[in-house]
Amino acid sequence: MLDQYLKSRITDAERLVEQLQKHYDYVSVLGTCVRNKMILVSTHVNSIDEVDSECGFVIKVYKDGRYSEYSCNDIRDLKSTEVVKSVTLNQVFSSDFKVKMLEEQPHQEDYLREDPADLSDTEITKALTEVKDAMHKKDERVINFAARYMKRETSKIFVSAKKRLSQKYDWINVMQLDVVREGDVIKSNYEAEGEADSALALKKFKKHAPEVLDIALRLLKAKPVKPGKYTIITDPSISGLIAHEAFGHGVEMDMFVKNRAKAVNYVGKPVASKLVNMFDGASSCLSAASYFFDDDGVEAHNTQIIKDGILQRGISDSLSAMELGSEPTGNGRRQDFSRKVYTRMTNTWFGPGKDKYEDMVKSVKHGYLLCQTNNGMEDPKNWQIQCTASYGLEIKDGKFTGEMIAPVVISGYVIDLLSSISMVSNKVTVHGSGMCGKGHKEWVFVSDGGPYLKAEAKLG
Amino acid sequence: MMKKNEIISCIKANKKITDYELTIQDKNSRELFYVLDHLEINRAVKTKTVKIEVYVADKKTVGSSTVTVTAADDGKSLASKLNKAVTKAKQARNAYYPLPEKTENIKDKKNVKRDLNDIAGKVAKAVFKADVYKNGWINSTEIFVSEFTDEFISSKGISHTAQSFKIEVECIPTWSNKKEEFELYKFYESNKPDYRQITAEIDDILKLAKDRSNAKTLKEVDLPKDLIVLVKNDMLEVITDSISSQLSYASVFMHENHYSKNDTISDTAFDLTMKPVVPGCTGSKKYDRNGIVLKPKKIVSKGKAIAYFGDQRFGSYLKEEKISGSLPVCEVKADGVSYKKEKHLIIETFSSPQMEEDSGYWGGEVRLARYYDGKKYIPLTGFSIAGNIYENMKDVQFSEETSVLKNYKGPKYFIFRNIKIS
Repeated sequence: MLDQYLKSRITDAERLVEQLQKHYDYVSVLGTCVRNKMILVSTHVNSIDEVDSECGFVIKVYKDGRYSEYSCNDIRDLKSTEVVKSVTLNQVFSSDFKVKMLEEQPHQEDYLREDPADLSDTEITKALTEVKDAMHKKDERVINFAARYMKRETSKIFVSAKKRLSQKYDWINVMQLDVVREGDVIKSNYEAEGEADSALALKKFKKHAPEVLDIALRLLKAKPVKPGKYTIITDPSISGLIAHEAFGHGVEMDMFVKNRAKAVNYVGKPVASKLVNMFDGASSCLSAASYFFDDDGVEAHNTQIIKDGILQRGISDSLSAMELGSEPTGNGRRQDFSRKVYTRMTNTWFGPGKDKYEDMVKSVKHGYLLCQTNNGMEDPKNWQIQCTASYGLEIKDGKFTGEMIAPVVISGYVIDLLSSISMVSNKVTVHGSGMCGKGHKEWVFVSDGGPYLKAEAKLG
Repeated sequence: MMKKNEIISCIKANKKITDYELTIQDKNSRELFYVLDHLEINRAVKTKTVKIEVYVADKKTVGSSTVTVTAADDGKSLASKLNKAVTKAKQARNAYYPLPEKTENIKDKKNVKRDLNDIAGKVAKAVFKADVYKNGWINSTEIFVSEFTDEFISSKGISHTAQSFKIEVECIPTWSNKKEEFELYKFYESNKPDYRQITAEIDDILKLAKDRSNAKTLKEVDLPKDLIVLVKNDMLEVITDSISSQLSYASVFMHENHYSKNDTISDTAFDLTMKPVVPGCTGSKKYDRNGIVLKPKKIVSKGKAIAYFGDQRFGSYLKEEKISGSLPVCEVKADGVSYKKEKHLIIETFSSPQMEEDSGYWGGEVRLARYYDGKKYIPLTGFSIAGNIYENMKDVQFSEETSVLKNYKGPKYFIFRNIKIS
């Protein structure tokens, strides 16, 4: 159910829109109420907290070719004059340039997607504790095991002259971290499940726990990679990392407006092997960034970015779309109500191919299966890659040798990497547990994934 | 939003709460967002963030739970939230630790009246004063001018108030070599309006963008095998944060520490002191999240680990006599060496500095470096460096020049040998 407080402020938002329209050509009010419950069970620390919860409003206005915004906690007693006074600039440096005004179509709708499992804190804590105890029992080299359940309940309202929208949706993440120690060598491994259903997320967490610990223990013997060019197979997590960091940031169309993206010159041209298809969208699959409308009040989309290796289009927030004369794709997102909207990715993934994973492994003469996202950084202007996998498993003559390398940095030029993709597996997995920044700030929840991909890459 | 006294009354009315910590932050900011030199959007932010940490303790255990107070709350809803928090705190039990007692109360309230719109406008002018080049330009700029009032009140009688002011500028400089455009990233942060400094910093990053546009690849230069590598800026914060975290009470208690007291970190004599406030460091804080009034603590002396530091919980668990609190700034002092005549590689910017504390792996993809071949600097791009920080620190050296960053003060460059360049 939509947060009752937000519901109680819809008439206030309508009043503000009406009053501010006397001063401005466009007015909208976005209200957000996000409640985050976190249950942490670990070897040394336990807690049940409400973390990073937020509740507030942002009023957006437009006049004379410029947008202004005002963020505040409440709008009940907010006078329109206070908004006008706060956002009015007397003298400010700017060239004479007019941004276009947002155009909206009438739309009224209420959306709802709630966690079907009604689990108590006790039930969740018990599930996490059982796994923690089991992992300690399994191997005495475990020095810390942390399990974290997080349920994010998001309510939003969007009110403008033509729109009155509301949405409530839940997302659940269950994360585990195993820290193991042998002498002076310390290693860790993690896994995060993301689901719209608490019961399903906890079930997957329990199922994967032994594998996560097994990898942590194997990492104790892992060796650094000998820098060089290799045949690689990326697991769905690394495929997603490449989709997101290496390519996705470069098709965020606010970067097109700023002429900061090389991709703008490649629309309609090949950017990857013909086997590659890539998608993004809050409605492209059910995952961490699946909402019904974005922070501009635009309905969720499923955008095909790459089709058979050809770049089709980018993704955009409303303002960027206006500037570029294209349709917004429902990708306007804020970190929270006190921050600006940017074009942001949502659920970003490579589409499936026709190959079987087993055949892909068999086809590798010498290379690595790269697994588990560690981190990555974008370079949309120059398309340099920095993606780090937590570990790689050596393959020789089509078979795993048992050797592990860690960590593994993939570098090079994005188009070279995507063009080298020679096999694509037939099953897609999207991991709904990530967060993404724009530059070095503006964090939002995202997901990414894809099939297994076989390619050639520089590892270091 | 509920008033402070109403919130405290609500907390005190719940007799099951053993202790509490209340934090309130008022934020007032003005923000300007430019595409090239035209203002696309301006923003005003006026918010209050209120959090309560509720503790429920007995003789052997303690549990805590965080409550966020929002504009949606009134006395009735907050009482209900606090009741729920008590239940959660009773459920999430930990070994007992006492909360810090009052020592002194900080009242850092200056009542400075600032016109934030005016300051933001002046910052914008200072940024674009550097935008004077034919082949280089500022692609986009974000300016944040913010003032904060923070209050901390605990059931142990601690009551702190601190005010702070911050200017942040995110800037993307671009340079064209006529075939292709190249960009870099600049984040500037300061707690005083120094408009000349802003212009100088933007000018510097524009010149570095020019260097990137002329940069060569590794294949085009012949790097010697024993080349020394100099790292700076955010990588120094990543390295010192990683070293100091090995000496934190939490790492030691959880046996996740690579260093212990008396371990030699480096054969090079250097001191590392954790400090609360260092002029110019915008990460400075006078008290930590439990209200401990912070004092400097030296944790590395002459290259050897001599002490641990950290928060109340893990300090108590380790039975530390005087718990330091979570100190935010690392200050490094060391004799500097001259590197200028020797062939060397200065890493100007990484795409994102990498550090894996478990293994000590550090490095990353280099957006721009400058190689000194004995005669001149050659800009380089498109390669990576990698090392093991625990190994590399053993023979680290430091520059004579110094720098002040958000959470770091010390030598401008850490100088490393045996770094993989590929």
